[in-house]
Amino acid sequence: MTWQPGYALVLMLRIRFLLAAWFFTAGSCAQGWTGGPAAWVPARWEGGPLEVARRAGDPALAKDPSLREAIAGWYDPATLALLQNSPVNCLLVTFSAGAARDIETRQHELIQEYARRAKARGLAVLGIVYPGAEPSAVAAAAREARLDGVVLDGEFPSEGYAGQLERALLSAGAGATVIPIAATASSVRTKPAPLLAVQGVRPSARNLADMGIRAGASAEPWIESNIWLVRSFRLNRAGERMIWINQAPKPSLVGDYIRCVADAAVAGGRWIVALDDGLRAGLFRKEPGALATWRSIGTYLEFAENHSEWRSFVPYGQVALVLDTAGETPDISEEYLNLVARRHVPYRLVLRSELSPASLAGFQAVLAMDLDPPTPAERKTLRDFADQGGLVVAGPSWGDPPKDEPYAELPVGKGRVVVYKDDPPDPAAVARDMLDLLAPEVMGLSVFNVASAISYVSTADSGRRVLIQLLNYASVPANRVTIRFNGAFKTARLFTPESAPVDLAVRRTANGRTEVVAPKLIAWGAVLLE
Amino acid sequence: MPDRYSDLRRRDLFALSGLSASVLAAKRADASAPALYAPTAPVSVAKIASYDEDLVAQFERMFDQIGGIGHLVRGKTVAMKLNLTGSAGRGRRVGLTAGQTSWVHPNVVGALTAVFAKQGARRIRLLESTFRKQYGAPLEDTLLNDGWDVEAIRNAAPMVEFEDTNGLGQGKQYSTLKVKSRPYIFPAFSLNHAYEDCDFFVSVAKMKNHEELGITLSMKNLFGITPELLYGLGPKPPGASQWVRERVFHYGQVPPPAGVPQEIDPTSNRYEGWRMPRLITDLCGARPIDLAVIDGIETLIGGEGAGMPGSKHGKPGLLVVGRNCVSTDAVAAATMGYNPRAGRHEAPFRVYKDPKSHPPEQLIPPGETHQYADNTMLMGEAAGLGTADLSNIDVRGVPIKDAVYDFEARWKGQAPV
Repeated sequence: MTWQPGYALVLMLRIRFLLAAWFFTAGSCAQGWTGGPAAWVPARWEGGPLEVARRAGDPALAKDPSLREAIAGWYDPATLALLQNSPVNCLLVTFSAGAARDIETRQHELIQEYARRAKARGLAVLGIVYPGAEPSAVAAAAREARLDGVVLDGEFPSEGYAGQLERALLSAGAGATVIPIAATASSVRTKPAPLLAVQGVRPSARNLADMGIRAGASAEPWIESNIWLVRSFRLNRAGERMIWINQAPKPSLVGDYIRCVADAAVAGGRWIVALDDGLRAGLFRKEPGALATWRSIGTYLEFAENHSEWRSFVPYGQVALVLDTAGETPDISEEYLNLVARRHVPYRLVLRSELSPASLAGFQAVLAMDLDPPTPAERKTLRDFADQGGLVVAGPSWGDPPKDEPYAELPVGKGRVVVYKDDPPDPAAVARDMLDLLAPEVMGLSVFNVASAISYVSTADSGRRVLIQLLNYASVPANRVTIRFNGAFKTARLFTPESAPVDLAVRRTANGRTEVVAPKLIAWGAVLLE
Repeated sequence: MPDRYSDLRRRDLFALSGLSASVLAAKRADASAPALYAPTAPVSVAKIASYDEDLVAQFERMFDQIGGIGHLVRGKTVAMKLNLTGSAGRGRRVGLTAGQTSWVHPNVVGALTAVFAKQGARRIRLLESTFRKQYGAPLEDTLLNDGWDVEAIRNAAPMVEFEDTNGLGQGKQYSTLKVKSRPYIFPAFSLNHAYEDCDFFVSVAKMKNHEELGITLSMKNLFGITPELLYGLGPKPPGASQWVRERVFHYGQVPPPAGVPQEIDPTSNRYEGWRMPRLITDLCGARPIDLAVIDGIETLIGGEGAGMPGSKHGKPGLLVVGRNCVSTDAVAAATMGYNPRAGRHEAPFRVYKDPKSHPPEQLIPPGETHQYADNTMLMGEAAGLGTADLSNIDVRGVPIKDAVYDFEARWKGQAPV
C-alpha cells in the first residue's frame, strides 16, 4: 500500500477518537457508572419548576392544569418506578436554562435529590442545558448533583459554549461529560467522539397526494427516516461509536413511539426517548393506557438491546457512495444518502478523502455526485473502475452531459459512466434511476412489498451472516414481504419485537439467490441469513 | 394552434351529442328494439362487502347470470389483462395495498383463475405491461411488490402463466392485430404475442376515476396492452414527453417506430382528451374483449393512481361483469353515479390538466387547465363495439339504483367515503 495524504487525516481522526473514548469511559467510571456512555439507553425526563418556567409561553401547558401538575411534579420519586424493568437507564433531566436564580436553584436542589435516588437504582443522570445557562453555574450545580453528563439542547450563542462548559466542569471538579445535540449531521460527522447526539426527524410515512404534491400513478409514500442518518456516522465500520437521535414523536400514537425506537436502532443508534405531554400526564396519573404505551416502548428498547450484537455487523453494499465531508452542499450530499436508502439500494460510504482504487475494491458501482468536479486523480480512479466493468454515476462536471435526456450512459472499457444533465442532479431522480441502472444482482438485495418500509443490510463473519432489517413506517402491517439476497444461505430466521424468532423457508432462485418470505411486518423485523 | 373541433367526423358528432348511430337506429324503428349497429349483452352487478368473501362462488353466480362462459373457455387459452396501474413503480398509499386502490385485487384474480379452471380452461395467462426498467422483471415480481401470493394463483389452475407484455416476452416477434371495428386513429397495433395467442380474452379492470379520461373501466384497461419497449424505440425529440407511450399515443408527438402500424391521419387532433378515447376504442377493436370484469370492491376515488392530489380510498363494494365491454362499462359508470352518455365537460369528462405534467400545447387556450375528455363508451358505441344506452342493456343481479356509489360526491367531500 502506498501512502496517500488522506491516510494521515484518517489516522489522526482515529487516534483522536481512541483518546476521546478512553477519557469518556474513564470519566464515567470515576462517577461510579460502570456501563459507560456506550451502554446508556437515554430518555428525556424533563420536569420540575424550571421546565414549567421554560414552557411558560406554551399554550398546551397553559390551558391544561393537570399537565402542568405532571410536569411540575415529575421529579417526585414515584416516577422512578416507571424505570423498573425498563431498558431506559439514562435520564435526561431539565437542568439549566438561564432562568431566574430562585427557579434554577430550586430545580438544582430537586435534581440533586432525584439524581441521588436514580443513581441508587443504577441509572445515569444527565442534565439538559438550554441556551442562556451560564457555564460556571451549570458546572457547579452539576458537581453538586453528581451528574454523569450534560446535554446541550438548542442553538447556543457561540460554538465554543461546549468547550467553555467542559472547562468549567473540569475546574469545578465535576467529571460530567458534555454531549451537544448537533443540529446538523454534517457538522459533527467526522468528530472523534464515542457518543454523538444529533437532531433527527420524526419517522413517518405520508402520501404525496395528501401533502399537496402531484405525483404519478407510481408514486410511493414519502418516508421520513433517520436510518440513513445513523448509518452515515458508522461509515463502513462496525458500531464503534454510539449515535443518539433527538426528535419528538407525534403525540399519543403507540406506533409512532415504537417506530422512533426502531428507526434509530436499525442502524445501531438509539433514540433519546421523548414522551409527549399527553403520555407524560397519563404516566404521572398511572393511567392504564399510558402505562401500556410505556411498556410497548420498553418492549422495543429491550429488543434493540437484546440484539446489541447487531451493532457489530458492518454495513453491506456493492454500491459505493462517495461522501465529501468537506463539501459545500452537505444538504444535497445527505439527500443522496437518504433517498438512495429509501429505494432499498444497499450502499457503503467511501469518504472522498479515502477514495482510491483500493477503497473501491469489491464494489460494482460508484455514485460520485459529491466529486464536483473530480480531481484528475479521482477521475483516473473512477475511469479505471469503469474500465474494469464498474458503473460510475457522476454529475455534469464529469463532462459530456446530455442536452435533453436526464442522463447519458457513456461506455468506458468494460463498464460505463452515467453522466447527469442537471447540476446538481436531483437526488430523488438519481435514487429512482438507480433501480434502472443497477441489475438486482448488483444491488444484492431485492425486497418486495415494502413501499412504506426502509431496509438496512449488514453482515458479519465475512458475509457468512447477513442481517436484513426492515422498518415499516405505515401504521398497518405489511403482509408477505419477499426478500431476495445474493448468495446461497441455508437458514433464515425472522426476529421481531412482538414474537419469538421464527424460522423462514429458504428458497433458491433460478439465478442462485436466496429467497425468503416474511409473512407479516408490523413495524420492525430482522431476517438473519446464515 | 390546431382547432380542436376541426377533426370531428360525422361519427364523432353522434358520439359527442349522446346520440349514437345505434340509438338513432333504434329510435327510428322501436325504442325497445336492440340496436342495429351496437351490440349488447347482459351485465351482472353484485354488491360485495369484502375481498374475503367467497369470490369464486360469486363469479360463478355472475357468469351464470350473463349466460355462462363454460362453453367459451373449455379447452381454451384464457388470457386476463390485469389492471396494474403504475406498476412500473411501486405506487402505493400508506397502509393500503395497490389492490385496495389502483390495481385489481389479488383475490379477484385468484378467484377468476379458479373459476376458469373449473369451467375447463386449458391454460390461463395473466398479462400486463409493467416494467419500464432496463432490467425488466418478470410479471410475478411486479405482483410480489404488492404482496400477492403468486404461488397460490399459480396453483389455482392446472396451467397458469404470467407474462409481462411490455416487450416481446416469451414471443419471438410482435403480433400485428388489425382494428376490426371502424378505426379512429390507428388501423392496427403491434402487440405481445399473448394477445393474439388466446381464445378468450378477459379485461380485468378496476373501477376508478382517471385524470385524463374521467373514468377507467374495462375498455381503458386495454391501454396497457401496448408494448412500451416497441413503441418507445424511436428517438425522443427535444421537448417531447419523457414518457414513451404518452408521447406516441396521448400527444402524438412522435410516430410509432418504423415497421409498426402508423396513424391513419398524422395531421389529426393532438389533444389527448380527443385522442385517447378514440385510441382506446381502436385497441378494443384490435383485441376484442370477450369478458369484462370490473373490480369495484375497494378502489381509489378521484384518480387512477397513488399520486393524484385529492384522491382517496373508497369502498364501493361492487363487482360488474359482462360480455360486451361498452355495455359493461356503461353499467359500471352508472353504478359510480355517472351518466354513461355524458358529454364533454360533463362529469366525469371535465378534467383538470396539471400544467407541470402536460405539454403546453395540451392546454387550450394556453394555460387553461380545465379541459375535457371525450366519452370512451360513446366512442365505442359509435364504432360499433356495443351500446352505452342503459335502456338497451339487460342488467342482472343487483339493480343499478341499489348499487350506486356516488364517486363524484365522495371525491368532492359531499358524501362520506
